[in-house]
Amino acid sequence: MKDLIAYIAKALVDKPEEVVVTEIEGEQTSVIELKVAKEDLGKVIGKQGRTARAMRTILSAASTKINKRSVLEIIE
Amino acid sequence: METYEFEGKTTEEAIENASRELNLPVEDLRIDVIEPGSAGIFGLVGSKKAKIRVRVNRLPDIEEGTRLAKETLSNILALIPVEATVRAEQSNGRINLHIEGDRSGLLIGRKGRTLDALQFIVNKIVYKALDKKLNIVLDSENYRQRKKDSLTQLALKMGEKAKKTKKPVTTNLLNPHDRRIIHLALKNDEDLDTKSRGEGLLKKVVIIPKNK
Repeated sequence: MKDLIAYIAKALVDKPEEVVVTEIEGEQTSVIELKVAKEDLGKVIGKQGRTARAMRTILSAASTKINKRSVLEIIE
Repeated sequence: METYEFEGKTTEEAIENASRELNLPVEDLRIDVIEPGSAGIFGLVGSKKAKIRVRVNRLPDIEEGTRLAKETLSNILALIPVEATVRAEQSNGRINLHIEGDRSGLLIGRKGRTLDALQFIVNKIVYKALDKKLNIVLDSENYRQRKKDSLTQLALKMGEKAKKTKKPVTTNLLNPHDRRIIHLALKNDEDLDTKSRGEGLLKKVVIIPKNK
């Protein structure tokens, strides 16, 4: 789950080396925290949050597969 | 193919300059020496710069885009993880990626949302890498065609209703691609007009019966 978000985020930003993804695992729900360079924040959020929404959609499909729920949080 | 000219004190230096300036490895350059250059006497009198012509061995954007799009999608699918392969083809300047192997509909999602999300992300990543906008369309289990057929059916049905009631009929909120299908389905119907209504990405299509 973590690797999936890291892969997508790194491909979208100007500074992939500053992408940090942490996963806080809960029993049913995992929280994936995505941190990027300040200048790259817009790139992972996108116009009207479209990129963030797309990442969340892909993440929830991946979670469904293992009968879990995952929440993506973009940390400022 | 793009052609450039570079200079240097020696041929080697000219090649180094070319590689650095174009930001490409020497293997990707096709080099023709125009002037070999000479050091002259004691490096002072009659020294001449070496001149080379460089052609870039680059794949056309669509080829590179197809390769990159396929690789990106395959990587994402492997990380989900889902066992599926990606088949790529080009048609009319469009890159079509067919996901083969997932029969669960997992990659399509409710109303195609997962497929659209994957498509959006792949387009973004390829655009970012090549700095060129390419039209990449993802499909799985022939979903795009099935969706097109059902939207066309819906458009025709709503068109009939509009004509019968002589009142405008409005669709649900649709994305640009789906709206286009509705507009096209009713384009040749002379008794109907179609208009998009709303703001933002998702809009409704209003099907209006013409007064005669």
